[in-house]
Amino acid sequence: MAEPLLAISDLSLTYETPRGALQALDGVSLAVEAGEAVAVVGESGSGKSSVALAIMGLLGREAMLSGSIRFEGRELTGLDAKARRELRGRAIGMVFQDPFTSLNPSLTIGEQVAEPLVYGRDLRRSAALARAIAALGEVGLANPAALVTAYPHQLSGGMQQRVLIAAAVIAGPRLLVLDEPTTALDVTVEAQILDLLDGLRRDRRLGMLFITHNLGVVNRIADRVCVLYAGRVVELGSREEVLGSPAHPYTKGLLASLPRLSLGERGRRIAPIPGRFPDLTDPPAGCIFAPRCPFVEERCRAETQPLLELAGSRAVRCWKSGALGAWPAPGPPRAATHPLPAQGSAPLVAAQTLSKLYQRGRAGGGLAWSRRLGVLPWPRLRSEIVRAVDRLSLAVGRGEVVGLVGESGSGKSTLGRIMLRLVEPSSGRILFDGADITALPQKALAGLRKRAQIIFQNPDSSLNPRRRVGEAIGRAVVLHADGRVPDLRARVERLLDRVGLPPAYYDRYPHQLSGGEKQRVGIARALATGPRFIVCDEPVSALDVSVQATILNLLGDIRDELGVSYLFISHDLSVVAHIADRIAVMYSGRICEMGTAEAVLAPPYHPYTEALLSAAPTPIPGAQRRQRVRLRGDSAPAAAERAGCPFHSRCPRKLGAICETMEPPLLEPRPGHSIACHLPLAELARVPPVIPAEPCARACGGFDPS
Amino acid sequence: MAFYVLKRLLAIAAILAVMSVLIFLITQILPGNVAQVIAGQFASPETVAAVAHRLGLDQPLLVQYWRWASGILGGDLGVSLVMERPVAPVLFHALGNSALLAALSFVFVVLVGIGLGILAAIRHGGILDHCASIFTYVGISVPEFFWGIVLILVFARYLDWLPSGGAAAWGEGLGPWISHLVLPAATLTFTLIAHVSRLTRSSMIETLRSQYVRNARAKGLPERVVLLRHALRNALLPTITVLAIDVGWLIGGVVVVEAVFAYPGIGRLLIFAIQHHDLPLIQASILVIAAIYCLANLIADLLYAYFNPKIRYGRASA
Repeated sequence: MAEPLLAISDLSLTYETPRGALQALDGVSLAVEAGEAVAVVGESGSGKSSVALAIMGLLGREAMLSGSIRFEGRELTGLDAKARRELRGRAIGMVFQDPFTSLNPSLTIGEQVAEPLVYGRDLRRSAALARAIAALGEVGLANPAALVTAYPHQLSGGMQQRVLIAAAVIAGPRLLVLDEPTTALDVTVEAQILDLLDGLRRDRRLGMLFITHNLGVVNRIADRVCVLYAGRVVELGSREEVLGSPAHPYTKGLLASLPRLSLGERGRRIAPIPGRFPDLTDPPAGCIFAPRCPFVEERCRAETQPLLELAGSRAVRCWKSGALGAWPAPGPPRAATHPLPAQGSAPLVAAQTLSKLYQRGRAGGGLAWSRRLGVLPWPRLRSEIVRAVDRLSLAVGRGEVVGLVGESGSGKSTLGRIMLRLVEPSSGRILFDGADITALPQKALAGLRKRAQIIFQNPDSSLNPRRRVGEAIGRAVVLHADGRVPDLRARVERLLDRVGLPPAYYDRYPHQLSGGEKQRVGIARALATGPRFIVCDEPVSALDVSVQATILNLLGDIRDELGVSYLFISHDLSVVAHIADRIAVMYSGRICEMGTAEAVLAPPYHPYTEALLSAAPTPIPGAQRRQRVRLRGDSAPAAAERAGCPFHSRCPRKLGAICETMEPPLLEPRPGHSIACHLPLAELARVPPVIPAEPCARACGGFDPS
Repeated sequence: MAFYVLKRLLAIAAILAVMSVLIFLITQILPGNVAQVIAGQFASPETVAAVAHRLGLDQPLLVQYWRWASGILGGDLGVSLVMERPVAPVLFHALGNSALLAALSFVFVVLVGIGLGILAAIRHGGILDHCASIFTYVGISVPEFFWGIVLILVFARYLDWLPSGGAAAWGEGLGPWISHLVLPAATLTFTLIAHVSRLTRSSMIETLRSQYVRNARAKGLPERVVLLRHALRNALLPTITVLAIDVGWLIGGVVVVEAVFAYPGIGRLLIFAIQHHDLPLIQASILVIAAIYCLANLIADLLYAYFNPKIRYGRASA
């Protein structure tokens, strides 16, 4: 058999740390054939990015590497720096995660794309620039000749990622290494980029090593999958095998802990992977996954697990993989769900025609002249009004979870903050418990702050690193108590217990906690004042899949137990669909569809909801999904083009001039379900459902819901 | 862009107008009496009064200020009371000498300071980095007049390689001309190099860790291109801002160093003027120094915009 394009065998990577040797990679072996996409899947700390950097030869000097990396039959480890450099770009291209920080802010797009040709292929600058224009066209950018002189900050995130891909493939590499290339993008844009990559792979017969944490993306792009855990390959096989019938407990756990975009799964607790990620300077004896594995036996803890070959090209690092049952169903089912308030009862929080306008200078706007005092010509920089939130009304009932979905920049966080009076609205009213709080002075907001709280996205930056966990929560208790709190420590420990943390965590500092534990502290702090309403601003977006499940379960339990209302903001429709009673879909400062979760997830859809649903990648192999709805462009309209329906510039079902000029009417297919669209309801109702009615039972890792 | 420059120039004019008022008031508060100084210690009160009247010192402050300020606007910096010559030629001759010294030092600072910072950043953690670090600590923590005296002792007194002070005219030849500049320029440079190289080092280290530098390496670009084309441009942005602030430091340093080396520049002129209570000379010198400082900052901001397209193209103004 001919040698594969890339063959990694027994790759190990060690770092010296003050606490001893850290084994970042341990005996990793995998191969990529030409024209094949291999996904490397893992959570943070799994070592997946280290694999990529090792292939590129970009690990720092302090990294100690052993094992073999062969590219087209040539051994890469031990090659001198110059030979490694000459392979980069020309033989192996790489695309990094965050397009914005990966482009040099002070060089033009053309320079950055043409560079590999100028310095690698010794092309003259003008010839390289011509090739760069062709490459920019190949990655689907409109008007590439004009883009060449633009700077990165003038482009949207999706365009930036296309530019990075163009720069990575321009010198004709045979292998493309992609490190989470779509993680920083919105789902509709992510789907476009995945299509682009798939096309490049076919046209150029590129081998692809696709690094990601997202099993849905894996399902869309990969031929074969390699699951990494704590620097070890735990499972290797084709996409259908690994996603369809996972053999390793960790893979089963990962799949089980994903919230599903299917109606049958709603409201059910997700099965998380218990425990903490192991300390790689002191890994557990025996199987590395044993401490978190529900199938663990004595033998697992005693013996180091080898990677066992199964039938075909499959391999799994578990001795009892053949005899494993389904991933255990999650703990006790939810307590009786709080009944939804009856229709018509007064909501707890209500936003009424809220607007938030920002003014900003327009790119290349130049000067505008106006008259002061009637005669004096007065120069002014042209600016534009950005409507972050645009005449938007939304109500959250008592004990209700309202999910707010939208892409980045749609104004969802701004809306959440306005409803807490953390940001001042430009116009409109906010009612809390029937009282108008829009104009309350800051001093009078103490009562509101006690009853309405917020949980932030990034627990790393929202906790003060110099304050102990107990102090952080205790401060919230004291600030909102009238006077001294007698048994403060006991109260804080009760809160810690409520969010599932042991009381000993009172004396820990944030850096001693894992991401999920920090988010639990954030929740405890929000609960400290006994609030009635909590804005959850992307509370699980920064967390690993297995941790995300535990936090979602916790938030669900707290809601059921305390009857708190949430405004649950997320860009991830499946997360929102899992937890929310009602869903509001937001686009460019406006709500385009709102209704109960069941109503929003089934037709009739707003065209944007339909696009969002169809773009959301699912990890179910072979699940019959309709042809994806393709959106034009990748960003909301500029302020100047904002007239009529805000979605008209990207809508695939645009009717014509009416969408550009007239504000869409509110259609009500059912009471409580509204869609803002010019299309007649009958036509919207004809759209077939995006989500398959019956979830594929096999796909839940053998997990039987009954 | 043109609008921006225009706006900044207007702002500078406003700053200078305010400065002129401040300078004028401060020189009025200075202890001592010019007329007394000119007339001599033992002059009779009548003589002093006569001198004061001749100089217009007995008129209201507002009138005096107006006469001074309108003179400046018309290009007349006034007449030195002590030297009894127009201020302008004296000032500009001294300014030329100082500018020469400052420019030479500034070029040194830019070349050596930035170069040292880049080298230290590339060899981050190596011997060179540690040596540069020690050097910069010493440089920052010891005042410049101390280095001036040390240099004079070593190079002028013991080794006798260079003159200890003064300046040579062009006509005396290139050798003596340069030899008079070396020690003062070296003294001026020492502290500032420390300052600039430390800043460049940390900014360069941060840039070298950035995603786009990693991406440039992943494109297979030669290390030289990665450093100069991708990293340096962005790493220099904070340095440019600080260099403009350092111009202020340089002007302050010039005053001290010129005193130590008896170098006939604007610093020495200013000290002379203050010692002899020569009000027009003091006022004009300080105003000119302030104007230079403002212009240096404007130039730095324009350079910053040149290196940073985000500013050049507006938008980030929200």
